[in-house]
Amino acid sequence: MNALQIKKKIGARALRSRIGKVQIPVALGMTVVWMLLFDAFRLRPETLGIAVLGFLVSVLIMMVFPLPPIVPGFRFWPLQGPYMVLYILGKMFAASVDVSAWVFRPGPPVQSSVVAVRMRTESDLIMVCVAIATSIIPGSVIVEASQPERILYVHVLGAQNEEEAAEAKRGVHELEERIARGIGTRENIAELEAALATERRNA
Amino acid sequence: MSEQFVQVLDRVAILCILAGALLSFIAAIGLIRFPDLLSRMHAVSKPQVLGLLLVLLGIGLRLLPAEETGVFSFGTLFLVGLFQVVTVPVAAHIVARVGYRTGRIRRDLVSTDELADRLATRRSVPDTSEDTVS
Repeated sequence: MNALQIKKKIGARALRSRIGKVQIPVALGMTVVWMLLFDAFRLRPETLGIAVLGFLVSVLIMMVFPLPPIVPGFRFWPLQGPYMVLYILGKMFAASVDVSAWVFRPGPPVQSSVVAVRMRTESDLIMVCVAIATSIIPGSVIVEASQPERILYVHVLGAQNEEEAAEAKRGVHELEERIARGIGTRENIAELEAALATERRNA
Repeated sequence: MSEQFVQVLDRVAILCILAGALLSFIAAIGLIRFPDLLSRMHAVSKPQVLGLLLVLLGIGLRLLPAEETGVFSFGTLFLVGLFQVVTVPVAAHIVARVGYRTGRIRRDLVSTDELADRLATRRSVPDTSEDTVS
């Protein structure tokens, strides 16, 4: 076997391992984004072509930039999922009014707190979603995230004493519950319910 | 679609766009009025996201009666909103983290700080493993 053949063999093996990294659900998601970009959901002669091209581009992207799969994945609950979205939107509106009030309040500068919130579920995905939701809800910013301990450090605007800090912590926990029930796997929800049960026993 | 329905849609769209613009304006005022970096983060990243979503909603309602809009469609608006919601927290987190760690915050304005305790204990016990995600 000469050098060229060996090189070809190595190349073929590398290509195969890269193809193995392609995750079909993620590729389909990217195809949907591609079709949205080109307005392909209206029925036109070129719709099918755009879809196929989008899928090929998605597969190519995932071969060039391989990412680890999302473990343990998620599932969308048909009732709790939309409720989660509505809950976050409602919170955004309510908190926007609060922050606007802080903006126009005369007097000394506003005080705030940094609180540590321990997640009650073991999923990285839910932690990320809670972090995103906390960030887009006005009045709270993630300062630091500790992944092995599952703690989010949240800066809360306008929390001037212990009670208000505890209140903010409860708010983030409530958000976590909504998100876990909306897009968590069965295991996540079981973990959450176990944590809630111990809390109730301690209270 | 009847003429009246289109007019009602127009009114609602105008309300949405106005509310969105107002929120963005409040965010700008907050940027000036708030005392330190972390509180300014609240002003700049938040009412602005909701403001943008409202403006997008308004544009979407205006587009609804139009039959053919060229390249611009609901899909585009949806993508703009989605990526704004997903990416703003990342930028906000990085700025907040760097600001906090380099001490660019006013200690006198923070009443309870549970992160400072943790960083202090970490510093006293030399720990080589970096356990934070960035």
